[in-house]
Amino acid sequence: MNLYRAELRRIVRRRLTMVFGILAAAGVLVLTVAMWIASSPGPTEADLAAAQAEADALNAEHTDFNDCLEDERYFEENGYDWVESDPVYQDMTHEEQCAAITGAWTAEDVIYTYSFDFAAEGRVMLFGVAIVGGLLMMMLASSAIGAEWSSGSMSNLLVWHPNRLKVWGAKLAAALTLGAVAVVALVILAFGLLYLTSSVRGEPGDLNAAWWGDTLPQLARTVVLTLGMTALGASMAMLGRHTAIAGGVIAGYLIVGEMLVQLISIWLPMAFPERLSLYTWIGAWIIGRTELYDYPENGYASTPEVMVITATEAGLLLGAIVLVFGALATWAFQKRDVA
Amino acid sequence: MPPIIEISGLRKTYSRAFRQPHHALDGLDLEVAQGQVHGFLGPNGSGKTTTLRALLGLIGVDGGTMRIFGEEVPHRLPAVIPRIGAVVESPQFFKHCSGRLTLQLLAESAGLPKTRVEEVLEQVGLRDAAKAAVKGYSLGMRQRLAVAQALLKQPQLLILDEPANGLDPAGIHHMRELLQWLAHSQGVTVVVSSHLLSEVQQLCDSMTIVSRGRRIVDGSVAEIIAGHGGTSLTVRFPDAASLPQAAEALEAAEEAPPGLAASIDQDRLVVTGAPEAAWVTRALADAGIYLSELRAETKNLESVFLELTGTAPVPGQTVQIGQSVEVPAAPAPVTAPTEPVTATTEGDQQ
Repeated sequence: MNLYRAELRRIVRRRLTMVFGILAAAGVLVLTVAMWIASSPGPTEADLAAAQAEADALNAEHTDFNDCLEDERYFEENGYDWVESDPVYQDMTHEEQCAAITGAWTAEDVIYTYSFDFAAEGRVMLFGVAIVGGLLMMMLASSAIGAEWSSGSMSNLLVWHPNRLKVWGAKLAAALTLGAVAVVALVILAFGLLYLTSSVRGEPGDLNAAWWGDTLPQLARTVVLTLGMTALGASMAMLGRHTAIAGGVIAGYLIVGEMLVQLISIWLPMAFPERLSLYTWIGAWIIGRTELYDYPENGYASTPEVMVITATEAGLLLGAIVLVFGALATWAFQKRDVA
Repeated sequence: MPPIIEISGLRKTYSRAFRQPHHALDGLDLEVAQGQVHGFLGPNGSGKTTTLRALLGLIGVDGGTMRIFGEEVPHRLPAVIPRIGAVVESPQFFKHCSGRLTLQLLAESAGLPKTRVEEVLEQVGLRDAAKAAVKGYSLGMRQRLAVAQALLKQPQLLILDEPANGLDPAGIHHMRELLQWLAHSQGVTVVVSSHLLSEVQQLCDSMTIVSRGRRIVDGSVAEIIAGHGGTSLTVRFPDAASLPQAAEALEAAEEAPPGLAASIDQDRLVVTGAPEAAWVTRALADAGIYLSELRAETKNLESVFLELTGTAPVPGQTVQIGQSVEVPAAPAPVTAPTEPVTATTEGDQQ
């Protein structure tokens, strides 16, 4: 327990921890500011009046619309005689019918308003914030372990604590503790700021029991995913004994790994090639379920075969990846000489 | 009283792709008695640091046994490690942490009181620099910090690899006094690996010299020097041209002892094995050669070390790593530090 506390204090006191913490908080702030600027509660009366004036000016130049307005028999003469009998148009005035048929400009056409709906869009943003937090934790954990190797602090620590399993366990537990606290704090910060933004500048929506019932398990799984990423980063650094190892593996997978997945799916015709990509499984884990479709012979006209990936299956695969790296790191740390 | 450290037949081999394996330790033996400052010497690449690393469980070994406080290591290392303080090579700490925080984290990890941190900072002279980040420390200050962390546990065994590395003269003096006080007043056993032979000569009570992963000699420092040093005479003449003639005269002199040797070294004649200085002056005078200077030179640890390890410099040549003397495979009998010195060298076998 003493060692765990010391390791927790050590990783918290690292400069990179502070830098990443500031970066993550700044990222959430930037997102909030962007949403604040992009969203608005709706156009004002003056905005609407100006837009209507602009639409009227455009319509004054609209030949078809003006011809229709001036000619009561416009629809019959131009092949739109069905308009008179179509229930959609029956309650409209002639002007409204003309506007609909000829595509006249309206005030809504010339004024753009976006209103941030937290209930509809906030959830995905929170997942994104958590995953970015997880990526930062992955690099931080990797850096914390790698720096100990490159600086010689690891051998110094082992002179104090020769039980390597205990040292590795304490370091991993400290990184996971920091990861869990940091990601949850980041998500709470993002939730607060985004909800506030939607309340002032958009529409918070109805965060009812159903919304919470869907969101909380998904967020919990996202946090678990970030912990897996943290453990993966620490394990990679323990295997590679270098600070940049996790960053390198992430970059390598993003650049080469996904490209290989795409190429394999082209070279080897197979059903559901998306299942080769980790993104598919990560999505299934977070959302809870993903359906993949395969249109084997007759294109999109035929009924596709469906492959369902549940959160349990995705969790097993992602957990197995983390476990394999963790086990390899443990074995290597136990067996290899400390230079 | 049993030795604090007992190492017997220790072997460590590094496999290398497409090359012969390297035997870093080739049956090394080592014993360190309690309450002494023990020097662990050897040329570069002779296996000193490898031995210390093996002893502390940092690397695995391929054979042999090691015991500390009578407990077999590395198996029982967790049980004895609270009694050991160690610095292996120059540890690098987290550069952005202060010296105090570095020690506090280690103390916290072992459940030691914070007051101990202040005590060791005072002890190694880092009290006023404790707040500063380690990145601002000089090499000597880092070395002091390393020694401070080794002292934190109030160890009964202190293992220091090059403790004087980077220290200024005052720091070396302070370190020497500290280690001697720990050993002689506090009963701490101190093992020091160092290349500063003059420092070892002043600091250590006993020592072990190793070469190519095997022990060459061990015993008390004074006895090893006395046993291998001897005294040589340096003779100079008004005219350097007399040197060859003088050398011949001495070796051909009546009553010349069997082991007498006279060799020319630049502008002087070095005479070893002479019964006394007066015999040299008489023998030269009998040959009609008159000297201008005669000086007796007692060997120091450096000359003994160079002789024993076979690393004495030869004009025009550079001694390469791994070119030190090779000790025969049969292990030398282990002697207690206070007993007569045991030494085995390649030369002894010939």
